[in-house]
This record gives sequence, structure tokens and C-alpha cells, in this order.
Amino acid sequence: MKKKGQSMSATLLTALIATVVLVLLSAMLLFYRMYRQSLLRNTQTAGLRTIELASNTVNDYLSDVDEVMALVSEELRADEAAREDFFNVFLRIRPDVVAVSTYDGDGGLVNCYSYGRTALSQPEVNLSFDAARTAEYAQGFVSPPHVVTLFAREYPWAVTMIAPLRLEGAERWVALDISCSNISEYINDIGIGQRGYCFLMDADGNIVYHPQQQLLYSALKTENTALISSLSDGSHAEGNILYTVQSLSNSRWRVVGVSYMQETVSDSLRELTRILLLAAVVILVAALLLGVLLSRALTRPLRALASAMEQFERHADDFTYQGVGGAREVRMLSDSFGHMTGQIQQLVDTVRSEEVNLRKTELRALEAQINPHFLYNTLDSISWMCERGKNAEAVQMVNALARLFRISISRGREFIPIRSELQHAESYLQIQSYRYKNQFTYSFDVDEDCLDCLCNKITLQPFIENALYHGLNGLVDDGTILIRVKSRGDDVEFTVSDNGSGMSQEQISAILSKERSDSAGIGIKNVNDRLQIYFGSEYGIRIDSVPDEGTRVHIRMPKLREGEEAEYEKR
Amino acid sequence: MKKGKLMAAMLLISALLLSSCGYAAAESRDRYRIWFVAKSTDTQFWLSAIAGANAAKAEYNVELTIVGPETEEDYAAQNDYIAQAVDEGVDAIVFSAISYSENAAAVDAAADAGVKVIVIDSDVDSAKVSARIGTDNVQAGRMTGAAVLSAEAGALYVGIVNFDLGSRNGQEREQGLRQALQEDARVRDVYTVNVAATPDSARTGAEILLHSHPEINALVGLNEPLAVGTARAVAALGLSGRVRVVGFDTNPECIDYMREGTVSALIAQNPYAMGYLGVETAWELLEGGSRNPDELLDTATTIVTGENMFTAESQKALFSFG
Repeated sequence: MKKKGQSMSATLLTALIATVVLVLLSAMLLFYRMYRQSLLRNTQTAGLRTIELASNTVNDYLSDVDEVMALVSEELRADEAAREDFFNVFLRIRPDVVAVSTYDGDGGLVNCYSYGRTALSQPEVNLSFDAARTAEYAQGFVSPPHVVTLFAREYPWAVTMIAPLRLEGAERWVALDISCSNISEYINDIGIGQRGYCFLMDADGNIVYHPQQQLLYSALKTENTALISSLSDGSHAEGNILYTVQSLSNSRWRVVGVSYMQETVSDSLRELTRILLLAAVVILVAALLLGVLLSRALTRPLRALASAMEQFERHADDFTYQGVGGAREVRMLSDSFGHMTGQIQQLVDTVRSEEVNLRKTELRALEAQINPHFLYNTLDSISWMCERGKNAEAVQMVNALARLFRISISRGREFIPIRSELQHAESYLQIQSYRYKNQFTYSFDVDEDCLDCLCNKITLQPFIENALYHGLNGLVDDGTILIRVKSRGDDVEFTVSDNGSGMSQEQISAILSKERSDSAGIGIKNVNDRLQIYFGSEYGIRIDSVPDEGTRVHIRMPKLREGEEAEYEKR
Repeated sequence: MKKGKLMAAMLLISALLLSSCGYAAAESRDRYRIWFVAKSTDTQFWLSAIAGANAAKAEYNVELTIVGPETEEDYAAQNDYIAQAVDEGVDAIVFSAISYSENAAAVDAAADAGVKVIVIDSDVDSAKVSARIGTDNVQAGRMTGAAVLSAEAGALYVGIVNFDLGSRNGQEREQGLRQALQEDARVRDVYTVNVAATPDSARTGAEILLHSHPEINALVGLNEPLAVGTARAVAALGLSGRVRVVGFDTNPECIDYMREGTVSALIAQNPYAMGYLGVETAWELLEGGSRNPDELLDTATTIVTGENMFTAESQKALFSFG
């Protein structure tokens, strides 16, 4: 009963999985976006906070350097011996101050103090001070990083702070060379994320200090200083890099934070995606499992119901219905079906028994019909005998007729002993032999133990009649009719054979299929039908006939003992 | 049947996803172990290279061991270091060969043991090197030649103080230098002396050259200690200004000599980049990258002269930071 189209469980599963996938996807997408946004915000906040911290430290350092400048300017007014003493101590405790130098208005080096180093007397090239730029120096000046060229053998990188120094009317400048490696302490350790970092830049776009300065110098790394110097304070995402810029309050320097979205955002997102996928798989598997269980719970009773229906379709007779469990609706359906099958079976039984009754009634009516027709002929014969004074023969004839009717009627019973059926056949033969003026002979060959068995009444007579009218009628020679009753295991076989003209195969099938129409009485078809209605299709009659040699009719029925007939009579 | 297939497919998919997650999680493993076998650990050149290597070590989170022999002639010690590194099961060796030929067997053995060998600065005669990084020495030699030829003198007698004959670098630099010199008719004669790679030995070599060929008016020291020794010899003999000195690398003493005029030009290599790129390349190779070992990754070389030594660019090339 495979029908086209989706099965219910497949539809259910598909719908469930589709819903779950849809809900999961949208939930994951939403969550992913929210998470990403909050990550981005966090990265920005972290960047801003870190830069704030960095600018505070650098600011602190710069104000500290301002104080140093003030202190140094103060001390430089003292006499020579005191100055020497002061710088000896001061420079030892402040290694970040590479050198303190004073210059005259022409850029000539007046004094230079540096711990553990001796300055060249008048270096030809001095990158710390340029007399041509004194105009800029007047407001307080911080140089880009450069190497200090005041010493031999040593070229430390430094930034120089220059301020005017008022000394007894003469023009003097004081320059502090501040070690770049010292500023590094304030910047190097400030990381943003794993690989992010801060660096210092001045307003002109020169990098003042960078944790990877040497990489920049070796051209292994570049910073997009043109871009960064154009950025305003705050966070700026450029591609995969987040720049956070803040200008220092009391200098021209800016702190720039560089952090990598890749590392802070993408890595976290990848981790999140992995977790989400895992969760999705778990949920999907759970949903699938649930779906399978659910659809099984729903469809199994339905399928059982369907197969029960299928069975009922095929074998409605011996179908007994076992109710199926499951949901209330299914149980209701099942109960209704059970009820319905019961009713249908009942209906079928009723129809069938009515049909059988009808047939039986019909048969009885036919049985009844035989009598008058035959009776007229026989009575004609008797009357003719009486006219001729053949009284003894008339008496015999009347006796035979009486026996015939007695047995025919048999108090309305369907089954009579074979003995009686044989008497009935013999009576009929006697009557007919008077009528045919002994044109034929007949004989019986009967197993004695069959005599007490039962058989349907008027079983043999139609065949004898058939033999007489169709077999022997046109025969010139003496015809013979032999009636045999033989026990065949659990069955009894009656045989009616004649040596008449026989029948063709067409005639045989015509006899077996057609109602008798030429005269009233029980036809051969009726006998066959009757046997099969009572005993089933394996019983009935078989006709063997050879034209011009004779016909043999086999009638088979089960051995029926006295008292067993009641079971069959119900049919 | 259909349902069974569906279930099997789902299980398979989930198993795949789980295993891919597991695989990704298992990726974070121990740090790579890399040995850095230098030619020396005390010249300015090698200090810069080591600083570069350390910068890359921090950036790529690798375990870095730095070793180098006492003298720049001790290739046997380098071979021992390589063998030791292989014994310790390192992942890669960043190596600078003292001897082009004598270090070859050790490098082959290391490569055969599955260790990636990255050559920096000085090449070795091995086909099993994974990558080569350093100065294009022939080109650097030509630059030296150009620095010599920028002299105003009408006739040039050039003395070359070169190091060990076994070093590929020295030979290539001299080759490039001589090519450049040959192209100028003012060059009358070129003399070479080979010395050990120390300032003292170079000074002696330079003095011998100047004694035996007093006409020499240009002297070249082809690496850092040789440049120092050559400058010392010229200064000590009072020949500053008469003999033009062109040196290699950025030793502070040489820079001082350049300030005062004894040294007229220095060929500044980029040792920091060599160290950094050496370790970086090792890491990239270990991560599954590939390099063509026959193609030298050229670290930029610059000529710095007394005139331009304090420009912003020259400062970056000459003076190492911090």
C-alpha cells in the first residue's frame, strides 16, 4: 500500500529541523552581532583607557622633566664648585638625563655636564643645539629624537629640551638631553592586547619613541605616520588596525595606541563561532532525536492502524482487530475502526446468510416444482395402464410414485440417508422404465457401509433423467444405466453412467452452467451449486463423456453420518 | 532505512565539527626552539644582529639560544654548536658561516636531521639550506669601490685588508670591489692582504701594506674589526687625509674616525635586520612556509660618508637604538 508523497514522520522531521535551524541561525546571528559589537566597544574602551594611562605617565614624566629643567636652571646660577658638586650627584641619580649643556647665543658650548662621560670641547656637529633655531627655543622646545654627538665613542639616542637661561644679561641656553631608552620604560610595557602597543609621536609626525624603534630604523617595519598625524584624538579603525590617539596636555607630543582587531576581536569571534557551532550541533542532534521519537510516537500507532486496515481489506472474514495505543485522537480513530470492522463483518455475515437462505428457498421451490410435471406424465401412464387392465403394473407404478414423493418430501429435511436416496432413484427408474417400455436396464453397485450415510436428497434423479432424455432416448439398442456408490476415504462418490449417445464438451459445459429451461425440475447446475454451497468448492460434480460411447457423472460429497448434518443445514 | 541514513549523516557531521574544533584547540603547542649560531658575540655588528634576533624572538614567541665562537676564525666551534643544537632536537638554526667550505658538512648533517637551517650574513657551501638572508656582498663590494673612487686623486693605489680566505663574504666583497675598481682608469694598482678578523691583526696588515707600498692612497677594511684596525693604522701613521679609508659596518670607533676625517666612508650593513629576519624566517618555515634558498633575501646596505653621517637617515643606519 505504498502511496506517493511525503510520509508523515518525514514531514514532521523536516518541519522540526527547519524550525530549529531557522531559530538557531537567527539566534546565533543576533548573538554573534551583539557579541561582535560589544567586543569592538570593549576594544575601543580598552584602547582609550590604555592610552589615557600612557598619556598620564608620559605627562607625569614630562612635568618631572620640566621640574628638572627648573631645578637645573636654578643651579646653573650657582658658582662653579657648587655646580660641579650638584651635577655630580644629580646626574648620578638621574641616568635618564644624558647631558646638561649650556650654550651662548652663537651656539658655542659653554658647559656640559654628563655622568661618566667627557664632552668633546667644541664638537663640529652638535645635533643637540642649533644656533639658527634660537627663535623656536625661546618658548621651550622639545626636539625629535637624534643621537647625542657631544661625546666620543658614545652616541646615545635622545630628545633635547631647550630653554632660555637668564644669566647676568648674557644670552644663554640650557639643553637637557633626555635618553630615549628611558622614555621606553614608560611606553614599552603598555600593551594593548597581545600584540598591541603604544608609541610617542610629535605634532609634526616624527616618531619620538617607538617600542620597535630599531625595526623602524632597519626598515623592517613602518608606521603610517602620515595617516596617523592626520587623525584627531580618539579611536580610529583603519582596516584591521585600531589607532587610538591622544594629545598630551602640556607638550606637542601625542600618544598613539595601535591594537589589532584580528587578535582582540577576530580571535574571540572565532572562539565564539566554534562554541556556537558546537552548541548548534548539540541542539540539532537533540532536536533530531526528539523529532524521531515524537514522530515515532505519533506515526507508529497510525502505521499499525494502516496495516490493520490493509489486512482488513484483504481478509475481511477472519479479521480480528487489536486496538492500537498512542495519542487520544489515534485511540479514538482506532476504536472507531474496530467498531466499524465489527459492523462490516456482521453485515457481510448477514448478507451471506441471506443469500444462502434465498438460494435454499429457491431450491426448495424447485424441488417442489418437479413433482407436478412428472406427476402428470406418471398419472397419465397409470391411467393408461388401468384402461388396458394392467392392474398389477398400475399398482407397482402407484407404489413407486408414492415412494418417490415420500422420499422427495422427507419431512422437509435436506439430508436423507443414501439408502433412501437410492430408493428414490430406483422408484424413479421403475416409473420411467414403464414409460419407456423397458427400453433400458439399470443396475446398482453400492458399498454397504455408505448406505447409512447422509446425502442431499434428489441428487441422483437429475442425472438419471439427463441419461434417459439425452443419452438413451435416441438409442436403438438397449440402454443401460449403472449407479454406483463408493466410499472414497472421508468422501462418498456417486457415479451415474450410461452407454448413451454421450455429449460433446460444449454440451457438458452448457449443462453445468445453464439453468434448466426445457422443463421444470432440478437441473444439473442446481445439484452442483447445492453441493458446493453446503460442502465447499472442492465438492460437486464432474462429467466425463465420450460421444457415442456414453456419459459418466461423478458426484462427490463428504461422508455425512447421522447427526452431523445439522452443521451443514445451517449454511 | 531512510531515517537511519539521516541519523548517520547527522552523527558524521557533528563528529566532523567536533574534531575540527578539537584540531583547532590542539594547535597551540610548545614554542619552537631555535638556535642562533653567530660568528662572534662581541662586535657591534653581531650585537645588533642579536638584538634583532631577540626582537623577533619576542614577537614570534620562540625559544632562542644565542651562541658564537671566541674568534671569527673558529669554524670548528660553530660546527660543535650545530651538532649540539641537533642533539638537543631544536627546530631551526639561524647560522652565519665562518667558513664557506668547512661548515658545510655540519649544516648538511643538521638539515638531514630535520633541522631547518637559515643562513644569515655569511653563506655556507650546502644545498640543504632552507633560506639565505644577508647583504649582497658583491654589490656591497661595488659600493665600497664607488666610495673609493669618489676620491679626487688622479691616480689611485688601493690596498685591501681582507679577512680569512675561507670566508665567502670577504671573497665576494673583494670581487665586487675589484670589479668596480677595474672600471676606472685612475686605479693603478690593487694590493690585498688577508688577516685575522681582529682590529690588531688588521692594523698590522694595514701597516705592512703601507710600508711595502707607500704609494697606496686608499685603504679598504672589508668588515667591522678590519675597518677599525685599518683606521687605527692610518691614524697612527699620521696618514689621515692622505690615505682614504673606506670601512665596513658601524663600529663607534670607526664613526669617531669618520667624524675626525680619517675614515671617509662606511658601508653600513643592516645586521639588526639580518638577526630579526633570520628568526622570523625560521618561524615562518616552521609554520609551513617556504623560501627559495638560492635567492638571497637582501638586507639593505647604505653608504655613509663623513659629509652625510648625521642626516636623519644616516643616523638610523649608523647608530643602533637603545
